[in-house]
Amino acid sequence: MTEMSKSQCRNDGVPCSGGVIESLIRPGCTATERESLSPSAPIWQDVLAQAVTGELLAAMNYTSLSEICDDPAEIADALEHAEGERGHATAFAAEGRKIGVEVIDNVNARHWKRLREVFLGCIAERDFVGCLVVQEIMLESFAVASYARVAMEAPGSLGKTFARIAAEEEEHVDHAMAILRAERALDPQHFDDKVHRLHLDVMTTLAKMLAKECKDGHCEVCHESCVKPSLSEVSLSAAELRGASLRQYLKTLDALGLPGEVTLGWVAQLPV
Amino acid sequence: MEVDFALIGHQESWRAAADVLAVLRGPAHTPLPEEEIKDILPWIPPRAVCHVEVRSITGARARGLYIDSFIPPDRLEAAYVHENITRVRLAAAYASNAKAKIVSLGGFSSILIEGNFDQLPERRDSLFTTGNTLTVGFIVQGIQKMCLLAGRELRRSTLLIVGATGDVGSGCARCLAPTVRRVLLNARNVERLRRLGAELAAEGIGVEIATNLERFSTAADVVICAASLASPSLLLNRIAPEAIVCDAGYPKNLSASAEMPGARVFFGGLGQVTGGMRFAPDFRGILNRHPFPDVVQGCLLEAMALALEGRFEPFSQGRGFITPEKVDEIRTIAARHGIYLAPLYNGAGPLEDDLDCPMDCGRTVAG
Repeated sequence: MTEMSKSQCRNDGVPCSGGVIESLIRPGCTATERESLSPSAPIWQDVLAQAVTGELLAAMNYTSLSEICDDPAEIADALEHAEGERGHATAFAAEGRKIGVEVIDNVNARHWKRLREVFLGCIAERDFVGCLVVQEIMLESFAVASYARVAMEAPGSLGKTFARIAAEEEEHVDHAMAILRAERALDPQHFDDKVHRLHLDVMTTLAKMLAKECKDGHCEVCHESCVKPSLSEVSLSAAELRGASLRQYLKTLDALGLPGEVTLGWVAQLPV
Repeated sequence: MEVDFALIGHQESWRAAADVLAVLRGPAHTPLPEEEIKDILPWIPPRAVCHVEVRSITGARARGLYIDSFIPPDRLEAAYVHENITRVRLAAAYASNAKAKIVSLGGFSSILIEGNFDQLPERRDSLFTTGNTLTVGFIVQGIQKMCLLAGRELRRSTLLIVGATGDVGSGCARCLAPTVRRVLLNARNVERLRRLGAELAAEGIGVEIATNLERFSTAADVVICAASLASPSLLLNRIAPEAIVCDAGYPKNLSASAEMPGARVFFGGLGQVTGGMRFAPDFRGILNRHPFPDVVQGCLLEAMALALEGRFEPFSQGRGFITPEKVDEIRTIAARHGIYLAPLYNGAGPLEDDLDCPMDCGRTVAG
């Protein structure tokens, strides 16, 4: 069987490689709901699965962060953030149910797991600044830009939810920026070296996730085959999600004060 | 680091953009395929690409930044004008944030902004120049040199300027019209053409204007192509045999398919820094893709010359204000620091090897 897009899989009602299409329809979905399921629902299902996984990972990261904070206010702040991220995951999952699909999550999927490991490395070193750089500068840049881009194309409440959460994530970044700018002012070279070290791990992983093709095999989040080739059916593309994310990342690093010619070199060296 | 000058530019082809990204990726990473570059480049926000140090023959040095606006080479058309103005504004803001004292606008950057200087960020730290006056200076000098090399008398020539109402085209017209027999002015905007034609005619110069190259009554034997074209697409099908043709566009104006047997084509508006330049990272031959070392567009050299001179002022602003006096002034400043007309060349290579060049003819300051 030749490879088919996710929407073709659903409409034709035939088995896809690695599973059957019914697996993407939520249990208890009525016959009428199944009939009215949009052809693009399987695509949004995978987009939502990535978003939910990212939000749950962020919630885990903030919970871990709370464990290395000394100040009760910082602990409360981190736990509040964790709760907020869980709320985002819940909201995305609810959007999936609205379009008749079950949104799975997998924080142990290979790339997300690697991102978590890097964060836990910072936790092990009680590196509060490193944690903020990974979560707020790198992962949130990715989230803010890709959610905002998805919001432009996703229909109805799905689009509105992506737009709302993108805006809320951007507020997180603003909060962290003040702390990180102050930290950089103390020792710019030391700060920039740390960002670069984390960039090599985190952004390399994110770049692989955002590459036009998953060269390392299945990402373990998409419910069937890779969603990327089907994104054009909902007026998106992996290339523009990557471009928007890396642009947001560069702008965030600019706002922190890192030299643009240096960060441009970092981004240019990422895998494609 | 103190930033004396900033140069705002963009790449004129995907090949050039690929070479820039290849340097940024470094030798340890394989160069990106062109399709990937087309996906990536439009998303890069304007920013510094490298540091530039320029040295004067007086021993003075000036340090600056090359800032790329990352306008995609296939988006130079009018359809993208708002997007591109935004990019130039962001590049200008980047230069201001870097506290560059003088900023040159290269290529399409100046075309986009020359009539809209009020759209640049309001910062007292940075002053902006289009750099067009020195570009005009080098175009004029190139024409004079080419005529000298070809044994042609400029005063007997019919000069055609394509893109005559632009800042560079009108500057060339004002400088060269009094030195030729007749001037043919071509541009798209008929009102501006009429104004420029009337201005020159009032000086007693024989002038024809036309929006269509076919309409001129005579064939030109000296041609300056200074139109703002998104790609090399100009066909000159009515010029004299063995005409001298200066392609001064960025991107180049002349189509590769233009058939001009016998014409002597050269790339104009370029200068050479004889005191030397240094890029960090090393972008030599990448950002300045010429067959000779330390050759740069005149518009960018204007900021370097002003920085070396310590004259931080908006030397070239607006459209249509370039005068022969201003051209002489900036060429004198540039020459004082060893910035001269670059050796002449075209797509086939250097031109002066085959021609008998009088000693230092490119380094004459007087017009």
